[in-house]
Amino acid sequence: MVVEERRRANARLAVLQYLITVLFSVLAVSFWVLQVVQHAKYEELAENNHQRTLALRAPRGLVFDREGRVLVVNRGSYGISIVREHTKDMNQTVRLLASVLGIDEGGVRAIVDRHRREPTYRPITVVQDATPAQVAAVSARRLELPDVVIEQVPTRRYPLTMAAHLFGYVGEVNDKEVADDESLHSGDIVGQSGIEKIYNALLMGEDGARRVVVNSVGREIRTLEEEEPTEGKRIQLTIDLDVQKAIEEGFDAVGLNGAAVALDPANGGVLGFVSRPAYDPNAFAAGIDRAAWAALNTDRDRPLNDRAIQGRFSPGSTFKMAVALAGLEEGIITPDFRVHCPGHANFYGRDFKCWRFSRGGHGSIDLRHAIQQSCDVYFYTVANMLGVDRIHKWATALGLGVRSGIDLPNEVQGLVPSTEWKREKMHEKWYAGETISVGIGQGQVSVTPVSMAVYMAALGNGGTRVTPHLLKAVDRGNGWEPAPVPKPQSTVDISPEKLQAVRDGMWMVVNEAGGTGGAARIAGHDVSGKTGTAQVISNQGRAAAAGKTDRNLNDHGWFVFLAPRDNPQIAGVVFLEHGVHGGNAALVVHHILDTFFAKKDGRPLPPKPVIKPNMNPSMG
Amino acid sequence: MFERRLYYHIDWALLTAVLALCLLGVVMIYSTTADPTRGTASRLFVTQLYAIVIGLAAMAFMMMLDYRTFTDKSHIIYIGLLGLLVYVMFFGMVQMGARRWIPLRIFNLQPSEFAKIGIALVLAKFFGENRGAPGWTDLAIGGVLTAIPFLLIVKEPDLGTAVTLLPVFLAVAYLAGMRMRILGVLCVCALLAAPIAWKFALKDYQKSRISTFLDPSQDAKGAGYQQIQARVTVGSGGLTGKGFRRGTQGQLRFLPVAHNDFIFSVLAEEQGFAGVLVALGLYLFVILRTLEAARLAKDRLGSYLVLGVLASFTFQVIYNITMSAGLAPVKGLTLPLMSYGGSSMIATLAGFGLVLNVRMRRFTN
Repeated sequence: MVVEERRRANARLAVLQYLITVLFSVLAVSFWVLQVVQHAKYEELAENNHQRTLALRAPRGLVFDREGRVLVVNRGSYGISIVREHTKDMNQTVRLLASVLGIDEGGVRAIVDRHRREPTYRPITVVQDATPAQVAAVSARRLELPDVVIEQVPTRRYPLTMAAHLFGYVGEVNDKEVADDESLHSGDIVGQSGIEKIYNALLMGEDGARRVVVNSVGREIRTLEEEEPTEGKRIQLTIDLDVQKAIEEGFDAVGLNGAAVALDPANGGVLGFVSRPAYDPNAFAAGIDRAAWAALNTDRDRPLNDRAIQGRFSPGSTFKMAVALAGLEEGIITPDFRVHCPGHANFYGRDFKCWRFSRGGHGSIDLRHAIQQSCDVYFYTVANMLGVDRIHKWATALGLGVRSGIDLPNEVQGLVPSTEWKREKMHEKWYAGETISVGIGQGQVSVTPVSMAVYMAALGNGGTRVTPHLLKAVDRGNGWEPAPVPKPQSTVDISPEKLQAVRDGMWMVVNEAGGTGGAARIAGHDVSGKTGTAQVISNQGRAAAAGKTDRNLNDHGWFVFLAPRDNPQIAGVVFLEHGVHGGNAALVVHHILDTFFAKKDGRPLPPKPVIKPNMNPSMG
Repeated sequence: MFERRLYYHIDWALLTAVLALCLLGVVMIYSTTADPTRGTASRLFVTQLYAIVIGLAAMAFMMMLDYRTFTDKSHIIYIGLLGLLVYVMFFGMVQMGARRWIPLRIFNLQPSEFAKIGIALVLAKFFGENRGAPGWTDLAIGGVLTAIPFLLIVKEPDLGTAVTLLPVFLAVAYLAGMRMRILGVLCVCALLAAPIAWKFALKDYQKSRISTFLDPSQDAKGAGYQQIQARVTVGSGGLTGKGFRRGTQGQLRFLPVAHNDFIFSVLAEEQGFAGVLVALGLYLFVILRTLEAARLAKDRLGSYLVLGVLASFTFQVIYNITMSAGLAPVKGLTLPLMSYGGSSMIATLAGFGLVLNVRMRRFTN
C-alpha cells in the first residue's frame, strides 16, 4: 500500500472518529437534558398519562321519620361518562357511544359541549342511570371506547310515593350554584327543592376518589390509592310516617287536590305535610328527561307547585276565630256579646248576607254559637266594631298574612289587609265598608295552608306563633343529636278565659248539633275545628259562566283543627281545592286525627278510609 | 483453515461489548414483552435468544474464512441478494402493509437486512481493487451498485432500511479517497433533491411524520403521539430510572413497538440516564474499536470492508437513539444489537464477524 494513501486513509478515519465521538457526546448531553434537567416535567406528563382519578360518589344522607322509620334512601346505579384526557377524536367517541347506548347523538354532543371548559380529567356524565343493557353494551366495546368509564353512582330513591313536595328532589348542580358555593363542583347532585335543598349541606356527602393506573387503551391495571367517600349526614324529620300516610290516604280517598299540614302545637314540629297533585321525586333522581320536565311544567294542575307553602287562598270562615279573638282581646266584645242575625245586615249602605240567609238567619246568637254555626252577620258586626287594623294586628299575631318560617324553600306570604297596606300598595284610603268582608275572611284576605296550621297551633298553645320545622335530629356520626327547635316567630299574651271561649266554639263546631264540622268528631278526644269556604268566583259570576268554561268553578274547602281542645297535641289544616265546602275537608281530617289518636291510645290504626265528598254547594 | 494463532488475534474486547449490548437488548425485550400477569417469558424474548445464537454461528462462519474469500465471491453474493430481494417483491410475506419478509420456520427472513453486508462486500471489492482516488466513473459505478438494491427495498416499501445502504457507499468512497469537493457536490445535490423528493417521492404518511416532527403538538394524538410519548418516556426515566419492568410508559403500552424501534426509550425509562450512559458508552466503544480495526487492516480491501459494515451500523445506532428520545422523526429503523428482530440481529453479528475477521488477519498474508 502506498504510504501516502495510507496516511490519507488514516486521517480520514481519524476525522470519522472525532465526528462520531462528538455525535455521541451530543446524544449524551441531549439525554442528560431530557432525563435530568427536564425530568420533573416529563415525570408529571408520564404520571398523567397513566394515572386517572375517578370520583367515588358519596351517597346522600338517609332520611328518617320521627320514630326512625326510613323515608328516603339511595340505590346503586351506573353512570356512563367520558373522560377526555386521552380522547383522540371526540366526534368519533360521541358518535360511537351514542350508537352503542342507543341514544340521540345530538343530546350527547350537547352534554359534552356544556362541560367543554372543565378540566379534561373530570368525567362528563352522559347517562346518569344506565340500564343494565347499556352498561353491558359499553363494557363490550371497551377497546373502541377507551375514554368512556362506567361509574357506580348512588342515586336517590324515595321508596314511599308520598310527601313529594316535602322531600323535594335532587338534580345536577347548575352553573350559578357552582359559582356561588365553592364547595360544589360541576356535575354534583344537589337538592333542588324541599328538604333535599334546604338541608343539602347536611345530606350531601363528600365524594371520595380513586387513583388508578390505566394502560394506553384506558383499561384499569391497578388502584394506587383510594379515598373513601363520606356519606351525607343522616337526618331525622319531625314527620310521623303514620300521620303522613293518613293525610295521603285521606287525599287519595277524597280524590281532590289541595294541601294539608299537621303540627305539634307545642313547638311547631311538622307531623305531616302534603300538597296535591304531587310528582314522583324518583323521576328526578337520575336526571329528568326534557319531555317529562316539560309535562310537569305545563300541567294545568301545576304539580310542581307546593300548595302548602306557595298557594294563597281566601281563608273564608276559618278566619272568624282571629276576628273573635281580636274583639275579645281588644275589649270590644265579651264571649256573651250577642248579635241578632236576621240572615243579612246593612253596613255603610250595602246589604251583606249571612250564609243562612235563605233559612232566616241565626237569630240572637253569642260568640261561641256564632263560631259553631259560622254566623256571618255576627262577624260582620264585630269586624265593623274593630276596624281593619286591629283585625290585622291579631291575625298577624296568630300567624296569618306572614311567612311561617318553615324550613322549606320558596314559601310565599299571605295577606291580611290594613289601612297602611292599602295606602302603601294601592295609594288609596281604606274604606270602612271593606272591613265587613274581612270579618268573614273574604275580600283581600289570603293565606297559605301552612300559615293556617300555625294559626291553629297558636290558638292551641295560647298565643305562641311557633315556627313550623321539619328537622328533628342529625346524626353526624356520633348518634342522633337533636336539632335545636327554631325560636317562635312571636308570642302574644292571650287571656286564657277568652281563648277558651274561642276554642269552645271550635269544639262545638265538631261536637254539638248544628255545628258544621261534625264529620271530624272522634269520641273521647275533643276535636275542635272550623270549616271554611273560599269563593273561587262570585255567585253571579258562577251563574254567568255556567256551561261556558271548562274550568272548575267549585269553591275551595277548608278545615282547620286542633285536638284535644285543652292541651292540644296536634293542630293543622286540610285544604281541598274546589272541595266545595269545609265539610269535605273535615272528612279527611277525621282520618288524620283518628290515626293520630289511635296511635296515642294504642288502638290499631284505622284502615284506608272511603270518603264520599258532598259536592253540592250549601253551607258556609 | 482456522489457524491457532489467529485465535489469539480475535478482538475479545469488541466481541464482549457486542455481546453485552445483545444481552442488554434481551433484558429490555424481556421487560417490555413478558406477560406481567403470568410472569412467563414471552415468545419474542425466546426468539431473540435463538436469533443471537444463530447470529453467533453466522459470526463464527464469517470469521473462519479469510475475508478475501468473501470479497472474491462478492459478485455472486451480490447477485444472490438481488435475487432474494426480487423474490420478496413477488412472493414475500406482507405485514403491516409492506412486503419485506420471507417466512422461515423460526422467524421471518428479511433480505434487506443482509443487503447491507452484500453492499459492503461488493463496494469494498470494487473500490479496493482500484488504485488511487475514485473518479466520477468509479463513483457512478459504485452508485449504481448501491442504487439497485436501494430501489428494490424502497419498493417493498421500506424506506428506512433502504436509506441505511447510502452511508455504506458514502463511507467506502470517502475512505477510498473521494475528493472532498465531490463530497461537497453530492451534499449540495442531496439538499437540492430534498424538496423534489418531498413533492414526488415521499408518501403522505412520510410527509406527515416529518412535518409532525417539526411541531409534534400539531398532531398530538396521531403521528406526533409516538414522538411525544418517546420524549415523555425518556424524560420520565430520570437519573436512575424507574427500575426493571417498572417503566409505566413501556409497560402500559403508551409507547408503540417498545420492544422494537423504541427499545432504547424503554432502557432510558427503566434504567435512567445511568443506563443510557452505559449503553451509549458500549456503542461508542464498539464503533471506535471497529474504526481501529479499519485502520489496522492489512489492506485497503479489509479497511473498506470494515468501514462499509460499520457505516450502516453507526447510522442506524445514531438515528435510532436520536429518534427514541423523540429528537428525530419516527422511522421504522431498529437499533442494531438491541432491538427485537432476527434478521437484523443475524446480519449485524455476521457483519461484526467480518470486522473481527479483518482485524485478526491483519498479520497474515
